[in-house]
Amino acid sequence: MIAGHFGFAALVKGRERSTPLWMLMVATVWLDIVFVPLFVTGIETIQTVPGRHGYGAAIIHADYTHSIAGALVLSSILGAVSWPLWGRRTAIVIALVAASHWVLDLIVHRADMPILPANYLGLPRFGLGLWRFPAASIVVELVLVLAGAWAYWRAAKDVSAQANRGISLAAINTVLIAGSGILILWLDASS
Amino acid sequence: MQFVLGVFLFVVVVGVLDARLPWPKAKDRSAQT
Repeated sequence: MIAGHFGFAALVKGRERSTPLWMLMVATVWLDIVFVPLFVTGIETIQTVPGRHGYGAAIIHADYTHSIAGALVLSSILGAVSWPLWGRRTAIVIALVAASHWVLDLIVHRADMPILPANYLGLPRFGLGLWRFPAASIVVELVLVLAGAWAYWRAAKDVSAQANRGISLAAINTVLIAGSGILILWLDASS
Repeated sequence: MQFVLGVFLFVVVVGVLDARLPWPKAKDRSAQT
């Protein structure tokens, strides 16, 4: 799930208008951003489900970044860094959006997300496994993208009108959010 | 590849364009105290 995370960030922007959208976008994939260097160095890995390929065919061993404890720590760090820049409320919003990554991943991942880093104590792993039904997962992501674009459009149009500015930039951004989300989803689904 | 493209499109392109809209500013910590 990539497009769905970005769609969720746009959805939050529709309500939390003072939070910079670019930071919400960073926050929503913060766990994946930290995952990248760990993946490159082989600390976290991706395994393909036997007999499957392409969209949703991954078992992701992100035992640090995508453990519940790891996600909470990483989200808290991002919130703490944001606090001096944008204040407490915005920092909390950013931390919650970062933590939402785990919740959205919970829907699609197979049971590969542990509670503690490195699956310490061997506790049960979580994941509802919607990726086993790619069409349903794609629909969920598409709904998030379109709902995010719609919420963004309403908010961006409002603030533009209140400032006596034209709505063309709001419209362009909305089309970019929806178009980029659909493009990413299409690339993901056809991989 | 999709992840890198997504970060570029949503964070850089959309994020930069969005910053040109007249959104209310988040209060900084000194303004809150």
